[in-house]
Amino acid sequence: MKRHTLFLLVGLTALALAIGFGTALASPETAPAHQASVLHPNFALLDKNGDNVLESNNSVSTMQTCGQCHDTKFIESHAFHADLGLSDFAASTETWDASTGTFGQWNPLTYRFLSQSGDERLDLSTAEWLMLNGERIVGGGPATTSRDGTLLTDLKTSKENPETSILDENGSAGTWDWDKSGTMEMNCFLCHLESPNTAARAKAIQSGEFGNANTATLLGLDIVNDGNEGWVWNTAAFTETGELNSEMIGIQDPTNANCAACHGEVHPETKEPLTLNACDLDYPQTATTGQVVSGQRINQSGVNLSGKNDISRSWDIHAERQLQCTDCHFALNNPAHVSEAQSNNPDHLIYDPRSLEIGEYLERPDHNFARGQSAQFNVAPEYKGTMRRCENCHDASKGHADWLPYIETHMDAVACETCHIPQMYAPAIQSYDWTVITTEGTAVETCRGVEGNPNAVTSLVTGYEPVLLNRTNIDGDSLLAPYNLITSFYWVYDDANGNKRPVRLMDLEAAFLENGKYAKDIVAAFDANSDGKLSTKELVIDSPAKEGVVKAKLEALGLNSPRIEGMVQPYSINHNVTRGENAVNDCKVCHNADSRITQSIKLADNAPVMPVFDVDNNVQGSGELVTGEDGALYYQPAPAKDGMYVFGSSRVSWIDWLGALAFAGSLLGVIGHGTLRFLSSKKQTHGAVRTERIYMYDAYRRFWHWLQTASIVILLFTGLIIHRPDIFGAFSFRGVVTLHNVIAAILVINALLSVFYHVATERMQEYIPRPYGFFDDAMVQAKYYISGIFKGEGHPFEKRPNNRMNPIQKITYFGILNVLLPLQMLTGALMWGVQKWPALANALGGLPFLAPFHSLVAWLFGTFIIVHVYMTTTGATPLEATRAMITGYEEVEVHNGKDEEGS
Amino acid sequence: MKNRFPSWTLGLIGILLLILVPVLYYLPRAPKANDPAAYLPTKVVHVDHKDIVQGEFKTGQDVTRACLECHEDAATELMKTTHWTWESKAFDVPWRDDNVTIGKINQINNFCIGSQGNENKCMSCHAGYGWEEGKEAALASEENVDCLACHADTGMYGKGTFGNPADGVDLLAAAQSVRAPTRENCGKCHFDGGGGNGVKHGDLDESLYFPDQSLDIHMGGELNMQCTDCHVSTDHQILGRMLADNYTIDPNEQVSCEQCHVNQKHEDERINTHLSAVACQTCHIPAIALEDPTKTTWDWSQAGQDGREDDHFTYLKIKGEFTYEQNFKPTYLWFNGNNEYRYILGDPLGKSGITYINKPAGSIKDLSAKIFPFKIHVAKQPYDVKNNYLLQPITSGEGGFWTTFDWNSAFELAAPVTGLEYSGEYGFTETHMYWPTTHMVQSADKALQCNSCHSATGEPSIMDWEALGYSGDPIEWGGR
Repeated sequence: MKRHTLFLLVGLTALALAIGFGTALASPETAPAHQASVLHPNFALLDKNGDNVLESNNSVSTMQTCGQCHDTKFIESHAFHADLGLSDFAASTETWDASTGTFGQWNPLTYRFLSQSGDERLDLSTAEWLMLNGERIVGGGPATTSRDGTLLTDLKTSKENPETSILDENGSAGTWDWDKSGTMEMNCFLCHLESPNTAARAKAIQSGEFGNANTATLLGLDIVNDGNEGWVWNTAAFTETGELNSEMIGIQDPTNANCAACHGEVHPETKEPLTLNACDLDYPQTATTGQVVSGQRINQSGVNLSGKNDISRSWDIHAERQLQCTDCHFALNNPAHVSEAQSNNPDHLIYDPRSLEIGEYLERPDHNFARGQSAQFNVAPEYKGTMRRCENCHDASKGHADWLPYIETHMDAVACETCHIPQMYAPAIQSYDWTVITTEGTAVETCRGVEGNPNAVTSLVTGYEPVLLNRTNIDGDSLLAPYNLITSFYWVYDDANGNKRPVRLMDLEAAFLENGKYAKDIVAAFDANSDGKLSTKELVIDSPAKEGVVKAKLEALGLNSPRIEGMVQPYSINHNVTRGENAVNDCKVCHNADSRITQSIKLADNAPVMPVFDVDNNVQGSGELVTGEDGALYYQPAPAKDGMYVFGSSRVSWIDWLGALAFAGSLLGVIGHGTLRFLSSKKQTHGAVRTERIYMYDAYRRFWHWLQTASIVILLFTGLIIHRPDIFGAFSFRGVVTLHNVIAAILVINALLSVFYHVATERMQEYIPRPYGFFDDAMVQAKYYISGIFKGEGHPFEKRPNNRMNPIQKITYFGILNVLLPLQMLTGALMWGVQKWPALANALGGLPFLAPFHSLVAWLFGTFIIVHVYMTTTGATPLEATRAMITGYEEVEVHNGKDEEGS
Repeated sequence: MKNRFPSWTLGLIGILLLILVPVLYYLPRAPKANDPAAYLPTKVVHVDHKDIVQGEFKTGQDVTRACLECHEDAATELMKTTHWTWESKAFDVPWRDDNVTIGKINQINNFCIGSQGNENKCMSCHAGYGWEEGKEAALASEENVDCLACHADTGMYGKGTFGNPADGVDLLAAAQSVRAPTRENCGKCHFDGGGGNGVKHGDLDESLYFPDQSLDIHMGGELNMQCTDCHVSTDHQILGRMLADNYTIDPNEQVSCEQCHVNQKHEDERINTHLSAVACQTCHIPAIALEDPTKTTWDWSQAGQDGREDDHFTYLKIKGEFTYEQNFKPTYLWFNGNNEYRYILGDPLGKSGITYINKPAGSIKDLSAKIFPFKIHVAKQPYDVKNNYLLQPITSGEGGFWTTFDWNSAFELAAPVTGLEYSGEYGFTETHMYWPTTHMVQSADKALQCNSCHSATGEPSIMDWEALGYSGDPIEWGGR
């Protein structure tokens, strides 16, 4: 009964929290006390033996303390933040990555390698890994448990085992005593306290006092003090029954500030201007991408940003609109988000009321949080795509209805972020070059989006435009999405077991440095300006000679076949979203020659080797790595390789060349032929060719001809603009596309009506070449065009209302009207229809096939028009045929004799 | 024989129509920009009166006579306006049996309290002369209309006692300078109302003579709007009513943002969802008194102390203790444009211990009400302990408090003027007066942001949601 009441209370607490009652500021000083839950009951702080710390004076055990009510074992075992890859840790000879998480996956930015059992050289032991990374690790998982699942404290201590050893200052391995250091339980306080003492915690971790880390998190809250001989618990903070007064500790739902403690820059305040810690791996999300979670207007921030005054958008619209990290990255079994968990309901069921009771949830809250599909963070891949994404909350078809044509087509090709995160306003890491090291033992780092030192107040921050890469989502959809690319270069060697390993930082230091300064032979090799010092600019391997010097030194250290490798890693950008007016909303940003979609991004100023694109993620690095004119390395996206065709940007050059050739050829031919005719006509005496006036074209015929003429000319012209908007900058892309579609519809209707007319009036047969004698007749006609026409001969075939076409005309029109026009209408309709029936269009090759085909036929139409118009001048007088098509009456030659039978 | 219009022209027209009609129908059109500046009144250039106005002027009335020679109806028009009458139309208020009128002429506020009997000083802001003759006489005569107060170059003209021109004013020069009223003309009284710069209104003060765009988007910057661009006038009737001097206000007599911002919505639909509950002013006037401080409290009970040093912003012997605040954050209330209550001379004090000089009407249940920013002026002012009503002292002039520093005589002197009996026993009580803030408008990028009011991220909200009638922050608890 009592337990039930407790759960009810806790339940109410969480309910209040879930609807956002209790949220708090990052800094302890300014956090108003009422923000924390007042409903969380008082509770006893227990040590690892389950004894009250007031009696034992031991460190607090979160698993025991919180475990009084919450199922902490369940929580720890359902938390990828705790696991970090430990559960699937498996050494492999294929790759040096032993897991998908921070514990086991090598990160070229943090560089140090978590040594595997049997490695030739110890780099990071588990203990040192924890000291280095523990500040941003919640505890539990590898901080308490060994790779085979036993407790770290139960391991037999041996300096051969990377789990129980540590490197001393001289680089030789010693043992690590886990019993003495203690291990680090999953730290509930870190995320559920209003103001956890992260600094004191980090200090404890970095000094290897893992067992003290969780208690250190409570320092400064008047709960516990660090005495000379262990912890001194402040009895005033506790009730008479030995329970901690919950108001002292401020238990709450995790706020953005809690998440920020490990993930990156978060700035909830509006009044205090935001300043950045840029390119600083203590703020990894900000460092790797420039993402900043803040609702503050950018022009009110303290960042020295270029053009800042005009940027009145907020850093992130969702932060501005009061969303919390946990609103999208929620606990997977949180009943408030039950609708997400019910995605596999029967189709007819809109809502399933069965869900966890709030009390059950609070006892066993799943700490696997809904997550997106980022490229770099691969721990717990089974939870990728569980998160609430843009489309779970926003209906793009409504949001864009008032302006964006082809909404579905765009949404099928482009992730929301691509347009709604058009620009990053904070610097981000560009490259880490570990092939050389600074005297501080760091890589040579470059940062994009800033001029100068990224954290100096005098540096001008310019921000950068993310590169667009094709991301394949869990559901198989492939979308263009914004990324930062970070390129790293590093030395690797083959160890005694034949496994490839990154060269240890210690070995690099040994190769480059002597007593904290660069070794003489290194200075000699790298000192380009011979001043006896190495500047950052000189610290670069840009010649085989320099590479050779370092390689020789590494070999001298006993490293087997040291060599340089490089990797380009994509970091996805999903935050810093902006509203429509600041998003990409001009068609020509993408539909143009300088398309945003093909915009390249700089990778590194210098590439000691050609890096490889990291393929161990959901991003297609289908673009090319190219060296620019400035000698720097760039990534050049190639959307065509991902099956993308973007009007105005993509084009198939051979089709354009072929089409242009046909067009120009016919133009030249016509000009030549016309010139010859003109010259030859002067020589001839104009014999009175007998003509007569005949009603050649009835009204409907003339009408559909001219309507089709107008349509085709406009279509060719608008099509050209859509194809090459860069040449015709004055036209609105969207307007031209609409015009093209409307005219195309007119053309199709006109064509269908005319087919009906021709079929109904049986005039279709005029267009059908008669096989019998056709070839001979065609030869006669061709001969006439080649020679007769210059000699002033009459046309070989009379033009009569019931037989208006000569054999060549017949075959041409048959081709035009029955092959080209239908093909053009079909490809055009399919291109228009990718919006409505994408499957159909894709089955027929999709835009990458249809669009170039449509262009090719368009070229042929253009060619036809040239020849057609010229041919109209070959009548009785040059303008006669045109006149006939306007008035209906034509003066046509009257032949005597044998040809007459046709009339 | 030849057809003037051969048959093929018909075909041509048909083809053109067939192409143009659908194209024009489908072609995307940029939505018509609804430029608010297009709704600004166009004003004719004022005729330079330098060569028109002649003659010798000894008194203000002389000038008015000259004006009326041409502008025959001007005085009769003006005499119908509240700038002249200082009195509203009659209101039927629920707490009184008889209809009441409200205005400076007969009621009190919680600044200088009341004008009755204090005409020599107060009338320096009345658009009329001759108050030494008494109220009836002053208000009866057309010649007493002060044309110059609103039309003369303010550098040429100023008012002294009893509404008359100040000594030393060159009336001819002033009369020759006449023009359409500018911010300077209006500002002379409205920026300095209550006896000094920024005393009454926090959103109207002398900083608006030369405003930057950051002070007021309309009056500052390129637009350089004048008061009369929004407070448009016909026959000297100026649009816009003072809340404190009325009980209810016909919306047609009030200035609104929508006069110019016609059908103009925010691009952000989320903001538009606020429009049914939040007035434009709420977000676009995040603070008032941006440059010059405004008076927020006034304690008359401290007046008359000997030996205390006078300081304009904290203490004056004649007036008592004050506080002034700069960058003042308004208080937010539901407001439907009317008063729920307006203190009428003789009304009993408020039972709660606070007497409201006026109290805006509106609540969360009133669908015509929106959340609106107010400056609340808190005063301690005298009341009659036995009769339980507020008292109006005679302050200026002979026997007034400012010369005698004797409250009793000030109240006794006032009794025959106000018609309120004085029992002989006075005290001081707290009064509140509400001033809607509608000037010092800010552009969108300086307006309030989401987290100004909604505090999910922990920053304290400027709205007291529960006081406004919500269960909590409507972003989470739902709104109306």
